[in-house]
Amino acid sequence: MSLFSKRTATSPVTSYLSAFSKNDPHAVDDESSTPASSLSSSTTSDSEDTVIYDDDIDNADGLALPPRPPNSSEVFSTVHTEFGHCSNPKYRYLSQHTSGTSIPGHDDQNPEPPYYVLLSTYISYLLLICLGHIRDFVGKRMRPAAYRHLMPSDGYAPLNSDFDSFYTRRLKTRMDECFGQPVTGVAGRTIQILDRISPDFNHNQILTGSRTRALNISSYNYLGFAQAHGGCADAVETCIREHGVSTCGSRLEGGSSNLHVLAEALVAKFMGMEDALISSMGFATNSTFIPALVGKGCLVISDELNHASIRFGVRLSGAQVRMFKHNDMDALEALLREVISQGQPKTHRPWRKILVIVEGLYSMEGTLVNLPAIIELKKKYKFYIWVDEAHSIGALGPHGRGVTDYFNIPPRSVDILMGTFTKSFGSAGGYLAGNKDLIDSLRIRGHSGAYAEAMTPPVLTQVVASMASIMGIATPTMTRFDSSSTLQPSEAYHHPGPAPMSTLPTWLCLPPHLADGSEGTSRLRRIAFNSRYLHQGLIKLGFITYGHPASPIVPLLIFNPGKMNMFHRLMKDRQTPIVVVVVAYPATPLVSGRVRFCVSAAHTKEDIDTILRACDEIGDVLDIRHGVRPRWTIDQVCARALDLVQLS
Amino acid sequence: MSSTTESLNALLASLGQAFDKIPGSAVLVRYVKSSHQNDPGRTVLEVILIIFAIFTLLQSRTRGNDGRHFIKFEDKEIDELVDEWTPEPLAAPLNAFEASDLAAVPIIVGHNGPKPTLARQPTKMIANLASYNFTGLAGKEVIKERAIETLRKYGLGSCGPPGFYGTLDVHMTLERDIADFLGTEAAIIYSQGFSTISSVIPAFCKRGDIIVADRGVNFTIQKGIQISRSTVRWYDHNDLKSLEDVLDSVEKERKKRRGPLTRRFIITEGIFEKDGAMIDLPKLIELKYRKKYRLILDESISFGTVGRTGRGLTELYNVPATKVDILIGSMANGLCAAGGFCAGSQHVIDHQQINGPSFVYSASMPALLAVSASEGIDILRSSPSILTKLQQNIRVARTILDELDCISVPSHPASPIIHLHIRKPTPTLLHPSSAVSAGHSLKPSNPTSVLPREAVNWDWDTDAEERALQQVVEEALRRGVMITRAKRLRGQEMVEARPSIKLALTSELSTDEVKKAVKVVAQALKDVLRK
Ligand SMILES: Cc1ncc(COP(=O)(O)O)c(C=O)c1O
Repeated sequence: MSLFSKRTATSPVTSYLSAFSKNDPHAVDDESSTPASSLSSSTTSDSEDTVIYDDDIDNADGLALPPRPPNSSEVFSTVHTEFGHCSNPKYRYLSQHTSGTSIPGHDDQNPEPPYYVLLSTYISYLLLICLGHIRDFVGKRMRPAAYRHLMPSDGYAPLNSDFDSFYTRRLKTRMDECFGQPVTGVAGRTIQILDRISPDFNHNQILTGSRTRALNISSYNYLGFAQAHGGCADAVETCIREHGVSTCGSRLEGGSSNLHVLAEALVAKFMGMEDALISSMGFATNSTFIPALVGKGCLVISDELNHASIRFGVRLSGAQVRMFKHNDMDALEALLREVISQGQPKTHRPWRKILVIVEGLYSMEGTLVNLPAIIELKKKYKFYIWVDEAHSIGALGPHGRGVTDYFNIPPRSVDILMGTFTKSFGSAGGYLAGNKDLIDSLRIRGHSGAYAEAMTPPVLTQVVASMASIMGIATPTMTRFDSSSTLQPSEAYHHPGPAPMSTLPTWLCLPPHLADGSEGTSRLRRIAFNSRYLHQGLIKLGFITYGHPASPIVPLLIFNPGKMNMFHRLMKDRQTPIVVVVVAYPATPLVSGRVRFCVSAAHTKEDIDTILRACDEIGDVLDIRHGVRPRWTIDQVCARALDLVQLS
Repeated sequence: MSSTTESLNALLASLGQAFDKIPGSAVLVRYVKSSHQNDPGRTVLEVILIIFAIFTLLQSRTRGNDGRHFIKFEDKEIDELVDEWTPEPLAAPLNAFEASDLAAVPIIVGHNGPKPTLARQPTKMIANLASYNFTGLAGKEVIKERAIETLRKYGLGSCGPPGFYGTLDVHMTLERDIADFLGTEAAIIYSQGFSTISSVIPAFCKRGDIIVADRGVNFTIQKGIQISRSTVRWYDHNDLKSLEDVLDSVEKERKKRRGPLTRRFIITEGIFEKDGAMIDLPKLIELKYRKKYRLILDESISFGTVGRTGRGLTELYNVPATKVDILIGSMANGLCAAGGFCAGSQHVIDHQQINGPSFVYSASMPALLAVSASEGIDILRSSPSILTKLQQNIRVARTILDELDCISVPSHPASPIIHLHIRKPTPTLLHPSSAVSAGHSLKPSNPTSVLPREAVNWDWDTDAEERALQQVVEEALRRGVMITRAKRLRGQEMVEARPSIKLALTSELSTDEVKKAVKVVAQALKDVLRK
């Protein structure tokens, strides 16, 4: 059964595409392998594409059009460059924990590279550091003017001393072409990068004025809601007309709107919690609300790889902090036993409270928190749990409700669920969900309520629309059923259920495939498939990857700093350009520099094939395949994708 | 002594034996020997390398408990202690006042503007003097049109931090627009106005650096200072004489201790969020140059509200913005969009691109909000009449408010936010700013404490004043004027600010409407406070 079939074509995009499928002469016979160039020549003349694309369709890169044009029964409601067309029901998977299977920690699953790789990585860094110091030493004597801003001058200490900035100047600058790449357009399945060159070894980057469309495996667009067209964008447009772009003030002063109230109710329903609050920035959700919960005499136990925003908030709170080894439950238990028995430092007074802060899905490692074990520990050690679901909300679980959903744990066994809307929902800001008393106290005592600007209406609408399409909207008949039974609507809600009409703005009108939740479900299944496919594919090709197979974040280990630059460039310069994120020391441990893929529901199986092929070729050039044997060939991997996905 | 060397030798010997047993160790030994013979430098290099490797390995371990205070327990004892321990609840429930305060927050239905519709509205709305819509940009149709255009090209979210494909061309345009508007070399945008300065401060001020800050700075500056771990000295609120004294004492202290030259910053606000006072920028700049300090100036309230076209204090006082080393403003307040910015020299901006925590580790701002901000700047630039109108409305409001004897107004006459304090029947020196005139006779405050000397004389009853002011707010709303108390985080602020009502003026109301609205507020004040 195709989830996209039998739907009325409403938007101009859809009608264009169905028209296209009828006109296209290649529609049938080019099914298996369409040479990209022949397709592009047949479609660039199409006049309607101006409706959708800024540029003429040039499919030389194979990105603008699907490899196989849709047949008459397939009707797509998305723009292929934003959200890829894929109607094959086989390319779907259910993101769910198989009970009984162990949840890998971190170290026990990560294969080690050969020693020469480690050694050469250390030597590379050593060389870079030595060279850097030599250049500084010589440079300061030969060209003092270029170093003036790093030296005390005229009675001012340098804003940034040569020592503090050494890493940036001597290591990062060499890799600058991998960072801060300006882009334009939608951060969807593809993205347009603004081409740039550096005439002076990355000290200046100059935009050439041209653009390149590239396959985007880097944005946190897990469910593919970064779209300029479609039901969500239409809703945002309506909202801008009805509400403007700002609510002008903080939540507690003059900036609360009924949209906030509705969205918070919807978020609470989505999470399965009693209440929720919304803040206008994900980072600030951690950094300004943690201090409202813990303070002097409290202890925060934090995973060592927690996000900067969590550390920021914990530092502001004045609470003591202890860290435990990444996702290692034994270490956590040992630490808990130690801190509870020892009490506060020096005085040995008992802690006022202990808050364990973990992330659902770690953004650099792809590890999934061992939530069942933490919940077990909580029963004994009576700490509170704060789970940052920035990356896992929407992206994991059969209903997209994050790690609790994935592990089939009642969400209310966690005290605070935090998450952001920047990722799966294609929006901005963050939320906190918990019981009503807790959330109310955070509304008043969190820094954001009194001082930070409230979330703007368009951003709220994107949250509401995308969330409602994941949940599906309760139909009027269901509502009537609810009210006829004597229950209050809120009591009648069973998690995870559809979005109650009462939590949606009256003007919100989603197209049927979004409103009934079918598209949302298909997106959840697609990201689950894509994640597993890429993950297992890379392993079978002989790469070292980290993380949980279900994780849409797939880190591929490259190790040597020099290779990271090359990997990035080789991927970008392919016929089908691919943009990737490379992360190196100090964001990762020194030896485990990596490229991080963020899989999206917007990718098609063919996109993942493309990425695997690219990795396969580049992997040989750069010698980064140090993983398990036996290996499969790339053709085997692509052909047996379905087997691979079942593997894990 | 000798026994330790002996045991060490034995250990080494056994280690050596163990090493010999490892297959391939002989090859390694030969390799090291020959390489040392050929190139002694290489051995040094390799030794450094190994030390480096060990060092990084050790670094990644988590910190243990310090040994001195550690008590050893048996497993059973630990279990008992764990059983005995009962934590406090995660959050204390709201008290009655907080709960009613939360329930009384006005909820706007539909568009916010000079006369919004509220969810619970007793009468027809006369005016909104609570929301930050200073120059009326919230209602501009052009902005909405441009926002929708942008939506259709970029979607909504950027789905990535600026470093990783989250930098859009519209962000760069906005940065350029801000830099051009202010006349600085460059600018950088953050996705939330409130988080901007608390991220900028720790990007520059490190442990050991010196910050001299005003005692009346807003909450987020306090948090930025706290997280920077720099040495802080405080000067009396909006008192440049006190600032100079503190700067001198810092210098004296440094000379005495022969400390190294560290970075030194003055941190203050253009118009203070806490009370609407305004600094004397030219004098401040003269002082910071003379004492060789860098100035971090928060213009979150003054940007977009003062100056001929809303460029802020630098325009008002006609000093080039380049003289402010680090200038922070808010697009959320001043431009009715979202986010904040920091403007300064190219160096200052580049530094934040890798060191500003909430810049690096947070997704970039949605494209349509960036474009709205750019459009807002365009409007301000091309129509100075808006600012004239705003200032006129402020004057109208002030004329009425200054005549009331039940309140005192600490705000500067040009400030778009007007704070109202309850005036005590006996004229004592209550507010920090009112102490300025008499300050000379007193001994100066202690610069290491955030509390000013006269804090001992602060005798207002915070709870009672908050309650009275909330009654005023509700009374005003009943008569159709939406105002708000300045909301504070009681118990979390460094200095508890005096309770106040905060009016936010807007250019969107006509002079008559402002007059009418402020009269309503004045009447409500009289009615409640005279009781
Ligand atoms: C775990 C975690 N928390 C919080 C954030 C911050 O979210 P935002 O980008 O919405 O500010 C991120 C973003 O990178 C994250 O990874």
